[in-house]
Amino acid sequence: MTAVPARSSEWVRPVTLPEPASAIIEIDRVSQVFQTSARKDHVALSDISLTIEEGAFVSILGPSGCGKSTLLYIVGGFVSPTSGAAKMKGQVITGPGPDRGPVFQEFALFPWKTVLGNVMYGPRQQGVRAAEAEAQSRALIEMVGLKGYENFYPKELSGGMKQRVALARTLAYHPEVLLMDEPFGALDAHTRTRLQNDLLNIWERDRKTVLFVTHSVDEAVFLSDKVVMMSKSPGRIRAVIDIDLPRPRRRTELLLDPRYQKHVVDIERMFDESDEAGPSL
Amino acid sequence: MMSPAALTRRAAPVLACIGLLAVWQIASLVLKNDSFPTAMEAIRAIPDILGDKESLINILASLRRMALGFAVAVLISIPLGLLMGRSRSVAAFFNPLLMVVYPVPKAALMPIIMLWLGVGDITKTLVIFLGVSLPVIYHSFEGAKAVEEKMLWSGAAMGLSPAQRLVRIVLPAALPEILTGCRTGLVLALITMITSEMIARQSGAGNILFNALDMGQYDTVFAMIIIVGAMGICFDAIFERVRARLVRWSEPQFDMPLSFS
Amino acid sequence: MARILSPTVLLGIAPIVLIVALWQGLVSFGFAPAVLLPPPGFVFSRLLQQLVTWTFQQEIVATLIRLFAGFAIAVVLGVSIGVAAAASPAINAVVRPIVRVLAPLPKVALYPALLLLLGFGHGSKITLVTADALFPILLSTYYGASTVEQKLIWSAMAAGTRRTEILFKVVLPAAMPAILTGCRIGLVISCIVVFLAEMITSTDGLGHALVTAARTFQAVDMFVPLITISLLGLILNALLGALRSYLLRGFPEA
Repeated sequence: MTAVPARSSEWVRPVTLPEPASAIIEIDRVSQVFQTSARKDHVALSDISLTIEEGAFVSILGPSGCGKSTLLYIVGGFVSPTSGAAKMKGQVITGPGPDRGPVFQEFALFPWKTVLGNVMYGPRQQGVRAAEAEAQSRALIEMVGLKGYENFYPKELSGGMKQRVALARTLAYHPEVLLMDEPFGALDAHTRTRLQNDLLNIWERDRKTVLFVTHSVDEAVFLSDKVVMMSKSPGRIRAVIDIDLPRPRRRTELLLDPRYQKHVVDIERMFDESDEAGPSL
Repeated sequence: MMSPAALTRRAAPVLACIGLLAVWQIASLVLKNDSFPTAMEAIRAIPDILGDKESLINILASLRRMALGFAVAVLISIPLGLLMGRSRSVAAFFNPLLMVVYPVPKAALMPIIMLWLGVGDITKTLVIFLGVSLPVIYHSFEGAKAVEEKMLWSGAAMGLSPAQRLVRIVLPAALPEILTGCRTGLVLALITMITSEMIARQSGAGNILFNALDMGQYDTVFAMIIIVGAMGICFDAIFERVRARLVRWSEPQFDMPLSFS
Repeated sequence: MARILSPTVLLGIAPIVLIVALWQGLVSFGFAPAVLLPPPGFVFSRLLQQLVTWTFQQEIVATLIRLFAGFAIAVVLGVSIGVAAAASPAINAVVRPIVRVLAPLPKVALYPALLLLLGFGHGSKITLVTADALFPILLSTYYGASTVEQKLIWSAMAAGTRRTEILFKVVLPAAMPAILTGCRIGLVISCIVVFLAEMITSTDGLGHALVTAARTFQAVDMFVPLITISLLGLILNALLGALRSYLLRGFPEA
């Protein structure tokens, strides 16, 4: 346990050092229009530009229907934008690739494979030999806290355990960027908190770039270096907020930290304002 | 006004029919087999069959039996299926029996039932009834089983008696599934009718087919196949219209027919 | 033992016992002459007696050959066309209307045409079995393959699976429950159809055995092939069910 840092020291130590961070993902004037019916177009994303630096934990926060998941799918290469482009290390993204690993709210585990089979899928697909892939996968399964469940099928696991497997499956092929699509959205509050803590612990080890979509304000503030706030109809970036909280973060400490509280309140106020502007349906 | 896409969708089955007939025409021209008339020859023979009074009476008699067998089967099977779906003991009582009966070829019972009841309408209608019942019971059962428990609780809270709940909640809620069963049942009624007539060789559409075959009137055989095929397609299309109208409120169903159990 | 004889099972056996008792009663109390309705004990002993004879076994083999050949062709065609129609919009545009037209068509009406084209031997019967079993398999496969969870495919693609591999590594395994459901329906239909085809015209097979008995009014021998084909249907259905629960052990509600 480390004590809550005294106020004075906080100002002395700059929290997120502006290192010579290089951009890993660039989203350049991306728009996405869906044709919902013959007569009506739905503008899911309108002219989005965003740069994500290597090693940053960035959350995209917004109400449902603001196109935040669509933006993530565009970076994943699962969906092509109507206009504009997303780039990964300067290369225009044209399709999915093992450099960008998704973790979905729906887990999307292969039901016909065991936990081990699911985690091994990526390395095997990359051509890693079976024995080696198995050893790596077992280590990962242990890291996400599921040792002993290697031969279980996904249907035998709880929601939280399934999401741990999904995370391990994605980490197994060493993506440079993790794309997390409301990964804890289907879990109960308790499991959610535990998984947030565990995700941060795992992330602290190698600080991969993470793009994290959520609609929970405190989840975004707790996890991220940067929160991208979106508004809906059409989906636009409303604000980008730097979260200058020290790491490693502990939930119990943060909840008492006035800077954390201020970020949460500021963000919620901004959402309230846009709600008062009228129902945008 | 129809959009071009909707127009294509409407026209596609017609195009498919024309395409299949064209394939037939070409195949018969290539094979040059005496017993394989061209599609045109077969189509030309259709008016002869439908113009012949005896054939027409035969076909209409077949259809009347089919309608009767189908109607009785539906009237008995839907309530039974719904009861099975809502009561564990009713389901436990009937399920094993139905499971045993499931793989029995119903039309094959024809000779045995003929032995008891003669070759009259009763025998033929009874066989059609047996053929139709099973899928209708099964789908009504599945439909009733899947009815949301909370919906029934709401009904009970509003003061509906168990019987009222069955009629006013379970029946409409299970209707999409019931109608799927009826659609399968309708096609099965036609199949059972034709098959049993082919086996009994007394009268009816199936008998015309084999009589023509025995007498070497090959264009009549193929013309009759077109007539029976057209019946199947028309019944299915009409039923699909009715179904779509009755369950407009439900989630759009998968647009290919899915049930043949 | 207590588990096997649970009230549910007893309740389920009741109607079957009742029917057999009614059957026996009708004969015993003289409501039905034994010539028309042989008593159940007689029918089943005749069944056992027949099952060990070489001639009857040959009929079973003839039926099984046609059944399996027709069913196997239907599985191969149904699964490949179903997957192709789900994967390619162009193939879908062609297959969909044709299936729409052919699926509700009573295939048994084609049988006379098949007899003319393929003769009275195995060919016409196997083709009829295939025609009947094809559509449930094709439609379930199509349904299963086109409702594969998009995110399963995305997950596999992100892990480096090529588009061409997706079909075998994700779509087919994910559609397996639907495919096997279709196969189960197709298998029972195959059993029924092969028997009916043999009844309509054949020189061997179980269906033919029934017709032969019917011509000579041998009621017992009419029951025997009918019960045999139904038992075959039940056994094959159970075998496929066991295969299904093995293959789908990972799937919920399999």
